[in-house]
Amino acid sequence: MAASGLIAGHVAALAARLPARIVEELADGLDEANRCYLDRGFGEEAAAQAAIAEFGDPQLIAASFTAAGPARRAARRLLVAGPGAGLCWGAALVATRAWTWPVPDAARGAFGAALVLAVALLACAAFGQSYRAVSHAAIAGCVCIAVLDTVMIGISASLALTPRWPVVLAVVASTLRITYGIRSVARVCAG
Amino acid sequence: MGVYPPCCLPGRPCVALLLMRAEELKGHLDSLLLATLESGPRHGYAIIEELRRATGGRLDLPTGTIYPALHRLEQARLITGSWSVAAGRRRRIYQLTPAGAKALTGKRADWREFAAVITAALEARPWPHPA
Repeated sequence: MAASGLIAGHVAALAARLPARIVEELADGLDEANRCYLDRGFGEEAAAQAAIAEFGDPQLIAASFTAAGPARRAARRLLVAGPGAGLCWGAALVATRAWTWPVPDAARGAFGAALVLAVALLACAAFGQSYRAVSHAAIAGCVCIAVLDTVMIGISASLALTPRWPVVLAVVASTLRITYGIRSVARVCAG
Repeated sequence: MGVYPPCCLPGRPCVALLLMRAEELKGHLDSLLLATLESGPRHGYAIIEELRRATGGRLDLPTGTIYPALHRLEQARLITGSWSVAAGRRRRIYQLTPAGAKALTGKRADWREFAAVITAALEARPWPHPA
């Protein structure tokens, strides 16, 4: 295979796994490595092969970007913070006798299903291997959590729950989580 | 003749050993990358070349894994990246931030302390036994 074809093939393998912005940077580095080997007296094909070998396997590179990416970090932080926020809401629900709220059973069921979906999406983002899948799952998980938190804050406001300390604490936890989720989505979309 | 792990053949690089070195380096990679940017802004491959030069070629990590580390440092706001155009193509240039410079100073001090402790322990001589 021609030297340019070898480099192009490696860049294509990276492009199949990573966003264009990252691939552009890697392609520049690969070209620079190729040029360095040519300057050292390597033949065209040998230089391309050496540059590719130096860069490493596209799968390994993509896995490193996935592990270092903002999507994975956001998902892991939300998963770690989840039980804390859940405890706050649990205490608030008990304190305000949530079982007496005028909320239909179907709505309660839909909320529970959405919560399970959000956790599943965040788990996919926290442990997945594909950069794109991890990014999509993290965005969807962050949005899902933000919607659920907004619903809970909305219900608290609409039922005019007495502002007992567990409710205040839960609303503060949800507000922080919504803010973090929105900022994380922006970071993931940008990078 | 030395005893080689099953994955290794004499005269050929051992995958297990390379991985171990990469794993050992992982905790220090951030410091090394920050140090290469101390003298001024560089693009990704120039950072790798500087790392290689500074270590006399003894550090030879897969180049492709340096880029994710640079992105991680950028997210941590220890370095900033910006695009420039060189020879008709876009190139990402990295620069140390004030927070990065401060972190590097701290990491350097930690390393000196750690190295001094380990060196003292490894070079300690046992007390001579009475004849």
